[in-house]
Amino acid sequence: MVSDLSPQLDLVFHALAHPARRAIIRQLSDGERNLSELASPLKMTFPAATKHVRVLERAKLVKRRVEGRQHLCRLHAAPLKDASQWTEQIRRHWEARFQVLDSLLEEMKSEEETRSRRS
Amino acid sequence: MHTQAVQVATPSDTTILLTRAFNAPRRLLWEAMFTPDKMRRWMLPPPGWTTTTLECTPLVGGYVSVAWKSDDADPAMTLRGVFTEVVLHERIVHTEIMAMGNGQIVGSLVEQHEFSENSGVTTMRITQTFESKEARDGGASAMEGMEACYKQLEALLK
Repeated sequence: MVSDLSPQLDLVFHALAHPARRAIIRQLSDGERNLSELASPLKMTFPAATKHVRVLERAKLVKRRVEGRQHLCRLHAAPLKDASQWTEQIRRHWEARFQVLDSLLEEMKSEEETRSRRS
Repeated sequence: MHTQAVQVATPSDTTILLTRAFNAPRRLLWEAMFTPDKMRRWMLPPPGWTTTTLECTPLVGGYVSVAWKSDDADPAMTLRGVFTEVVLHERIVHTEIMAMGNGQIVGSLVEQHEFSENSGVTTMRITQTFESKEARDGGASAMEGMEACYKQLEALLK
């Protein structure tokens, strides 16, 4: 079970809260990319893209290695699994309530039909 | 019709968005969501707990008030809030404060419900907004408030 107070999880959610960083993750899901390859589809300056990559690195979602003058980034998906467990707990809690609500609504609908048939 | 399971998203650092479709007109869903005798049915208390109070007046300035008791405490936990915006069958906003039986606050948030109906199917969107990212992630939602409560009880019993 994931601890609610996990500071690591905070970093992951912060990292995922920006569309540019989600775009970077999508790009990296196809394989390793260097920083300029990541920056160009985002229509972003190189330093701006680097900043986003750093946020992803802090959340341990991206690993970077230096090869000559190139900085190659790759996706590290394990922290995403923790994040999905957190939402999974919320999902399960609400879905249990909503399934009760489904049957309650069916009852309410048939009660209404019975009433309208009588009148 | 088979309704899809609830979708959970985090559109920003301080919010949780729940989206779920129901096979009913929004008028009925609204009634089920905000009428006390209906709420008692779906607002499942934690295992072993009983709902003792459930009041809800879905009008601007109206209150929602829920209390639960356990074998050891009455109340074991309370939820109180005030409705701040109401557009009948469309959109409703209320505050929510969860507290332990002794009054210690374990979480607070603002909850917005939005309803949209299409051919008898109603999509409900619940947006929960917390005071901070830490509050959101750290267990301030109603569910996690209850879990925090369990943990404190467990700690007390040890």
